[in-house]
Amino acid sequence: MTAPLLDVRDLTVTINRDAGMVTALDKVSFYVNPGEVLGIVGESGAGKSITGAAIIDLLVPPLKRTGGTITLAGERLDTLSPKAMRAVRGGKIGFIFQDPMTSLNPVITIGRQLCDTIEAHLKIRGDRAKKKALEWIERVGLPNPDVQFKRYPHQLSGGMRQRIVIALALCANPALVIADEPTTALDVSVQAHILQLMRDLHRESKTSMMLITHDLGVIAKMADRVAVLYAGRVAEISPVGELFHAPKHPYTRGLIRATPMPLPDGNVRLDQIPGAMPGLGKTPPGCAFNPRCFKAEGDCRATIPPLTTRESAAFSCFHPLEEEVA
Amino acid sequence: MSVQDFLTLTGVSKVYRRGQSLLERLKKTDAGGTKAVSDVSLVVRHGETVGLVGESGCGKSTLARLVSGLMTPTSGEIVFRRDKAGRTPRLQMIFQDPYSSLNGRWTIEDIIAEPIRVHKLRKGRAAIRTRVDELLVQVGLSPADAEKYPQEFSGGQRQRICIARALAGEPEFLILDEPTSALDVSVQAQILNLLRDLQKNLHLTSLFITHNLSVVRIMADRIGVMYLGELVEEAPSEELFRRPRHPYTRLLIDAAPDMDTDDRSLHPIAGELPNPAFPPSGCRFHTRCPFAKDVCRSTVPPQKMTDAGGLYRCHFDLDLSNASTVSALAKVKTA
Repeated sequence: MTAPLLDVRDLTVTINRDAGMVTALDKVSFYVNPGEVLGIVGESGAGKSITGAAIIDLLVPPLKRTGGTITLAGERLDTLSPKAMRAVRGGKIGFIFQDPMTSLNPVITIGRQLCDTIEAHLKIRGDRAKKKALEWIERVGLPNPDVQFKRYPHQLSGGMRQRIVIALALCANPALVIADEPTTALDVSVQAHILQLMRDLHRESKTSMMLITHDLGVIAKMADRVAVLYAGRVAEISPVGELFHAPKHPYTRGLIRATPMPLPDGNVRLDQIPGAMPGLGKTPPGCAFNPRCFKAEGDCRATIPPLTTRESAAFSCFHPLEEEVA
Repeated sequence: MSVQDFLTLTGVSKVYRRGQSLLERLKKTDAGGTKAVSDVSLVVRHGETVGLVGESGCGKSTLARLVSGLMTPTSGEIVFRRDKAGRTPRLQMIFQDPYSSLNGRWTIEDIIAEPIRVHKLRKGRAAIRTRVDELLVQVGLSPADAEKYPQEFSGGQRQRICIARALAGEPEFLILDEPTSALDVSVQAQILNLLRDLQKNLHLTSLFITHNLSVVRIMADRIGVMYLGELVEEAPSEELFRRPRHPYTRLLIDAAPDMDTDDRSLHPIAGELPNPAFPPSGCRFHTRCPFAKDVCRSTVPPQKMTDAGGLYRCHFDLDLSNASTVSALAKVKTA
């Protein structure tokens, strides 16, 4: 097996409140192989976005990383100085944010923004940087790059803006791209375009990708492996086919069955999970999912289940689902 | 109008006018403006749930506001069935965002009791309180929650409170504007199941607006598909999914990624949504349609009826029951 590109071990993020420390991310461990798309899925508040932000040290106080190691291609990121970290952001790691309006500077042309990123990270200037920026505008599928180069973000539609954000994330040839809900703010017809573009660029550049989303449909089409987060902990990490056909963690199966999806016979299945995810600092003892789980027993309420690896899958559950019930 | 027609919309349009300059006002020129809803005709029968789907900017929320009476249509008619005394049916609305649609300074009891007081449905504090408790239990909360404030609840619970408030007005007609879009999937499933049970038990007539085709498929008896302010197709739910008549419906169904990990192909719709202020001539979908011919660019398509009681606006009678034929065509068009 090749060494993973990104290795995250026991990543812990806490919120410092007056009343004391609240754990937002509890010993999250996962890895991303070179050229792989790792999907990170979960409901709001599960810690998906915090995971992405923690890797590039963009946590906003009172959120603070308090433990764990992050290694990118053999280099420790968690011990880097803020200045060295700036070179990593946008350079080795590109970031695609959810809202394309707020992640672009509204008073600078998109061409200038692309050039700035290229000049900062690729050490090329002037006309060569501009040429590269124009290339990228064309590569992400915008017509007339020369015209687009001089335009401001508000002159573009939502889908076009997200294309520019993707160009910004990829223009410095990063080793890893973190995409945080890249299509959530877009309509379905535009979403499919953006996903297709991300897939094409991913195939061309062989960049690794962390795709954070709450949409299992997007995960099914895009990811190679999937990490399911629940209440700040990893519930399960499995290859995508296995995750949908034979989920190990009861939460994973609950999430899949709660998503309204038409069955081949034309009916639509809709099974709910009772209750709701515990809020921050209200995680029950033992497994965080135990109050909503139909398989919960005494041990689930007493001890936090460790992440166990079985063949290609890893899960944190004392009573994993067997193949036949899936 | 037949007896069972609960609500009839005839040629309803709504134009949002833009601000005019002084000169334009003096010249009395027509400002034009954006036609958010354009010539929509729709019938809702008693006890039926009609779904409306479409992408953002297609006018579905504007149509909801027109039906609820929060706005008046620029042209066209919205007629509710009247009872013997000449009253129109009681109507309630459930909104998308349960965080902004509840007053944070009111207790849950105040919130749910307001429609009861306004419509004078119960007399006396005790009777109102009993009704509030009853409604809370009906939507899956407990009577003890009545003393609390909205901030103490999660998104899903807040949406339950919104539903209880809507039911408190004892509506005959319910308008649901994206009621689950702000919720997580596991909670969305709970709310959809709750709404489905309530529809069955209370025999509500409702208009269900969403951008999510899977959701509307579960909830609605009939579905209308909107594109740039126009109702491009309307059909019974199963018919719409089994045999869509309008290319946009077919492409919209295919565009949403499903959970099949064996077939990982994506089906984008060519092009982008045109600016609703300047809709394309002829058929409004012709700029993105894989079947578009010259006639589509010049002539507005006629409204056609189907045997199953649906209607669609397209020049051609296309067989779109098979997904693969369209996506193959669409790929040629994008490439």
